[in-house]
Amino acid sequence: MRCMHNTKKVAKWEIKRNMKSKSFIIGLFLTPIIFLAFLLLPELFSSDDEPATTTVYINDQLGVYEQLEAAAANTEWNMEPTNSTQQEAEVALEENTDAAYIFIGEQSVESGTVPVYTSEETSDAFMDEVQLLGGPLQMVQIEQLGLTTQEAGMVAQGIVFEDVSNEPEQSGLFSETMLERVVPGAFAAVVMLSIVFTGMAIFQSASQEKKDKIAEIILSSLTPAELMQGKIIGYFVLGLIQVVVYVLIALPVLIWRIDVPIIEYLFVPELLVLLLIAILGYLLYAAIFVGIGATMADISTAGNFQGMVMMLPFSPFLFIGPVFSDPSGIWAQIGSYIPFTAPGVLIMRLSLLEEWPWVEIVIATAILAISVWVFMKLAGKIFKIGILMYGKNATPGEIWKWVRT
Amino acid sequence: METMLTVEGLGKSFKDKQIISNISFEVKQGEIMALLGPNGAGKSTTIRNIMGIMYPDEGAITFRNSTNNEIPRNKIGYLPEERGLYKNVKVMDILLYLAELKDYPLNRAKERALEYLKKFGLEGKDNVSVEELSKGMGQKVQFIASILHEPELLILDEPFSGLDPVSQELFKDEIRSLARNGTAILLSSHQMNLVEEMADRLFLIHRGTKVISGSLSEVKKEYANFKCTIHGSNSHEVLESLPEVERVEHSDEAAVLFLSKRVQPANWLRNLPEQLDVQELSIDRISLHEIFIDIATDKNLLKEAGEVHA
Repeated sequence: MRCMHNTKKVAKWEIKRNMKSKSFIIGLFLTPIIFLAFLLLPELFSSDDEPATTTVYINDQLGVYEQLEAAAANTEWNMEPTNSTQQEAEVALEENTDAAYIFIGEQSVESGTVPVYTSEETSDAFMDEVQLLGGPLQMVQIEQLGLTTQEAGMVAQGIVFEDVSNEPEQSGLFSETMLERVVPGAFAAVVMLSIVFTGMAIFQSASQEKKDKIAEIILSSLTPAELMQGKIIGYFVLGLIQVVVYVLIALPVLIWRIDVPIIEYLFVPELLVLLLIAILGYLLYAAIFVGIGATMADISTAGNFQGMVMMLPFSPFLFIGPVFSDPSGIWAQIGSYIPFTAPGVLIMRLSLLEEWPWVEIVIATAILAISVWVFMKLAGKIFKIGILMYGKNATPGEIWKWVRT
Repeated sequence: METMLTVEGLGKSFKDKQIISNISFEVKQGEIMALLGPNGAGKSTTIRNIMGIMYPDEGAITFRNSTNNEIPRNKIGYLPEERGLYKNVKVMDILLYLAELKDYPLNRAKERALEYLKKFGLEGKDNVSVEELSKGMGQKVQFIASILHEPELLILDEPFSGLDPVSQELFKDEIRSLARNGTAILLSSHQMNLVEEMADRLFLIHRGTKVISGSLSEVKKEYANFKCTIHGSNSHEVLESLPEVERVEHSDEAAVLFLSKRVQPANWLRNLPEQLDVQELSIDRISLHEIFIDIATDKNLLKEAGEVHA
């Protein structure tokens, strides 16, 4: 009871201290804004392209202009018939900004190729788009072969390879049903990333204690365990404050930009499991940060060992590729059982999988929870000694010795 | 006077190296107890063991009013040797935080903090960031933090290091006044001259063990023998043959004669031989400072004194 009392005081102090610091406040608002910027900027740029419509001049010797126009109905083209010759076209294109000349004659139908002249300004994607016009021309080809309309229609239809293994609507990451699972997962990921990033400040805070030589003064009032717990809880709350700011800034924008009932998808029972995983992940990384932070006075003097340990929270990124390509595959399973990668990998997998592998989830969460407990104990031992070692960084050997005692 | 802190047979070693052994002393209410010794003698180790920052291998530490051996942290003020403050916070914020950690009422803490800042010439600095303070100002704020919660026992590890003489006086006055008001004070120092003026009792350690302890007057009586400094050209042999002379130190024109404990100065002076060349002569007691230097440099003055005493 008395222990909690002191822990709370430390936590309160860390929160207050950060909330009063300009850099924290700036970061608090800047991260969601940057996040939104990355999300929305490409959209802004692409809408910039809209006025640059390609003008497509068609020299039609076959009288299929109307069919061509119909085929190109979904494009951004500005189609116009023309009588220019190929030489004239070339000259015109030198001056014209974004235009293309297409010459359709008997020869095109016989040889199956259509000459297209484009200007430098024409986008590279145009040559893909222009293949649309193949359809009406193919019809002309088929007609010339003298088939019936029905036969012609069958041939023109071509053959399509269709994926029928899943429900038809489920294609792509952002289909409706997919979003139902991705939304809570993405939210849990945001929660975890926010508190992990804020949690990295724990490292700063622990090593600051050494650098400013205040640890011994603080420890005359409370125990190292209370100080450590206070820091972990304090930065956890700071992380949650970051999440709240995130939600307040980003959610309205997302709801406005993305036409999906985000709120409805977000508050599902699965979210609780995802949040539990995120919080366990935070506690694991926080224990690592606070322990390692106590072993060095300055991040710039971090040795290889400390640097490697600092990178652990980013280890789930190693699994992004394998997990996305096969969320139930062997790599995804391995990633779920390694405590350092488990939070990230589990959140990724659960966002992708329709049917949750509950047995795996329970085992992985249990491993994670036990690791949290073990690492908290270890961090406590390292913190207790490290925090009072002024002026020099601990070597891995020394840290190992503290852990064993 | 009630005993606030008792240290009995304290011992601590790192790896195979014994840092302190068999350290025993007590600190009473309203007294200033000085823990003295050269650098590396084990003063800070002793204090850190008392504060529970290290755990002793042997011995016992007892506080008054403490149940089941718990350190009554809220009743203790502590100024460590290695000290500092968070850099990017306001002076008042850090003072209040440290008081809060001691469960001291905040409005009272604020009042006292302003009072002390004024007393130490830091008026108006309460809203200033710690990083803007000079080193001396920082030391003062640390000192204020250690006494803000009205501790019953105040432990100061090298409180005067890094202070200018004016600030030293300020600290000394404040420490004395705290003692007068009943605070038990344990302070460590390697500056004997400062301690000599204010300590009631002292405990001198060297290489982790006790060398001298007792009240200041006791120690002086017991160890601070008379010494006679004579300017003039006299041979070493002549000086050494004088009665009650235990040791002679020659330097240029002057010679310092260390006299035995039982010497009676007036008598001894009267019996000096007439042929002695005396340009200048002074007789006084060996200062604590000299005793300290003697111990720190491993001369044998004290040992001799001790032997004679035995």
